[in-house]
Amino acid sequence: MAAKKLRRAQLSLEMCGRLSRYQITTCQDFLCLSLLELMKVTGQSYYEVQKLLCKVSRACAPKMQTAYEMKLKKSVNPSSAFLSTTLHSLDGVLHGGVPCGSLTEITSPPGCGKTQFCIMLSVLATLPVSMGGLDGAVIYIDTESAFSAERLIEIAANRFPTYFDSDEKLLCMTRSIHLYRELTCCCVLKRIMSLEEEIISKKVKLIIIDSVASVVRKEFDTKLQGNLAERSNFLTRGASVLKYLAEEFSIPVILTNQITTSLSSGPGIRADLVSPADDLSLSEGSSVSGKRDSGCVTAALGNTWSHSVNTRLILQYHDLPTRQLLVAKSPVAPFSTFFYTIEKSGLILQDQKDQTNVVWEGTNPALQPIRVRNTALKDTLHDAALPSPTGETSRSTSNL
Amino acid sequence: MQREVGTLPLAPALRARLAAAGFQTAQELLDTGPCGLSKEIGISREEALEALQVVRQECHGDAARTAGGSGATRNCTALELLEEEQTQGFIITFCSALDNILGGGVQLTKITEICGAPGVGKTQLCMQLAVDVQIPECFGGVAGEAVFIDTEGSFMVDRVVDIAAACVQHCHLIAEAQQEEDLRKALETFSLENILSHIYYFRCRDYTELLAQVYLLPEFLSEHSKVRLVVIDGIAFPFRHDFEDLSLRTRLLNGLAQQLIIIANDHKSAVVLTNQMTTRIAQSQSTLVPALGESWGHAATVRLIFHWDNSQRLATLYKSPSQKESTIAYHITSHGFRDVQPPAVTHSTEGTELNPRKRPRTEEEKQQ
Repeated sequence: MAAKKLRRAQLSLEMCGRLSRYQITTCQDFLCLSLLELMKVTGQSYYEVQKLLCKVSRACAPKMQTAYEMKLKKSVNPSSAFLSTTLHSLDGVLHGGVPCGSLTEITSPPGCGKTQFCIMLSVLATLPVSMGGLDGAVIYIDTESAFSAERLIEIAANRFPTYFDSDEKLLCMTRSIHLYRELTCCCVLKRIMSLEEEIISKKVKLIIIDSVASVVRKEFDTKLQGNLAERSNFLTRGASVLKYLAEEFSIPVILTNQITTSLSSGPGIRADLVSPADDLSLSEGSSVSGKRDSGCVTAALGNTWSHSVNTRLILQYHDLPTRQLLVAKSPVAPFSTFFYTIEKSGLILQDQKDQTNVVWEGTNPALQPIRVRNTALKDTLHDAALPSPTGETSRSTSNL
Repeated sequence: MQREVGTLPLAPALRARLAAAGFQTAQELLDTGPCGLSKEIGISREEALEALQVVRQECHGDAARTAGGSGATRNCTALELLEEEQTQGFIITFCSALDNILGGGVQLTKITEICGAPGVGKTQLCMQLAVDVQIPECFGGVAGEAVFIDTEGSFMVDRVVDIAAACVQHCHLIAEAQQEEDLRKALETFSLENILSHIYYFRCRDYTELLAQVYLLPEFLSEHSKVRLVVIDGIAFPFRHDFEDLSLRTRLLNGLAQQLIIIANDHKSAVVLTNQMTTRIAQSQSTLVPALGESWGHAATVRLIFHWDNSQRLATLYKSPSQKESTIAYHITSHGFRDVQPPAVTHSTEGTELNPRKRPRTEEEKQQ
């Protein structure tokens, strides 16, 4: 919209020619000038320039909808408004599932199940609509080389044994998951920009990027001057393109994030250290300032990124093998927690508690403390007799 | 009439020619007439006529202004302003603590800015206000419509449906409790479909679309004269990337702020903007401050900052011309923006003042 040439905004050819002599060719250039500058450049009187402004604005401005029209559009096709995760309590709280048309982020310490969740959702997206899926292809952008096709088939075969009863169906499902391996920020951004055509040609219904944090943290060191601004720039640019794709095609976009140490030496003051090596020593909290409230582990990528995503789900450790899923930020759901384990068929919710864990308060999603694994490890070291039910979880991903 | 030619809103080339020909005041132009003007400067008669019409319009406007009549600028005494302010409505937020610190609610004809960390409830409040502006006057509302300009894509229709349904139910309960005829009549038009149809939604993807939309807003508002609230959800988002030239950004933001002030005043509506928080690193410490820089802080008349205190959401009134700085706590429930329920359960019903917006709390609500 911004790069729309003035010719298409129905300005006269003579005017366009005159403006192009001042290097004003797009609507964006035109609207960024002040009225006096416009008068000078177009050679028109004040009132004429105002009329021209309105004309150009009309060419760029978005179309109006009333909220009622939006609701009608949604109710016409209700199942296409979200992707059901088949975790019933979670779907209930999220009003149906992962919402289409917005960005959902999954954050967790390593080994909690982000990639598992993503693989499970890829299977779900390929299912037909009658089974709660989106009946479409999936684009999976993998930056950590953590995607395992065998695990994909295992989840599919175990979760929907009646549907995937033949190898043919499994192969058909795997054919509709398109995997891209990108290893630098630049490549990821280029890939995201090129997705529009792929979505149309391959009938894609889900985009997964696993994970955004790994490429960004490799390349941007926030301790260096200027890198923080560049990083925010990259992230907001990526976020706005993804939002555009999500809304334009009404599909869900899932991103995964890592964790970082957030040090706070007092209320309202915090420093964002992006250093994976610090995470493990964090629980002692003795690193920087010896004051109280030394810090907590929270989602990485900073404040700006927390603003850009619409929904944030946090996975964290509870006690082996149970893990916990928190809905930390959502425009429709209150702050809630669920327990789950990772089985052969993917994630399984433990329904021992029902809606009583729905709480109205919530916490700052950018500062939500996340439980890491080392405390759990300490327990198992003492309890050597404990049989390892994690045998199944440890085989699959390289996140561990 | 003695206005200098250089200050008239004519095309620059024309002004240059007039100056070269020696014209100094507007009166001289009017005396010369179109034919004489065209011969002297060397422009066509039609152009000369157009120029003279512009000059006449300007001078007429000037004369009207100096006579103290109604024109583009108003002169009024503080007494008239006081009367206006006292009869002006507020847009309530359904959180009485927040309404109290704001002096009644979100004020019309002023720009209110809401800054906050992610997930704290800025969009929720905007959606709540878009519903609350439509409350009929007999219930204490302003009976207006709302324009919602969304730059972040966080407007969820389902959530607005929930909030609107809760608001309608609240009004129904008040009408039943007070048993007045005009309340019930007003409720006939205050239904879910009506509320949703009067929220005009624009999705702006980048700052160009936002600028274009704000340029077109006065025209839209004259067509829809009942609009009393303009919400721009996420004024920071489109300006935070793709901007190497920060001075251009400041200029565009200032221009936007000015246009919004004009819109707020001319159309008697409240303008609500939401802003993000950003990390500012100074020496070795970093603090969370509202985004878009220091100069943007001057744009809004009233500034609210939402933040967290462990698990409690707090709202601080940071800048206001008439209220003092204070902090209150609030909740976001399935019905929308609400007060924190007071810990002591008091059974005060009709004994206390009958605020038409409130109704005695019933048992189910307390358990919520």
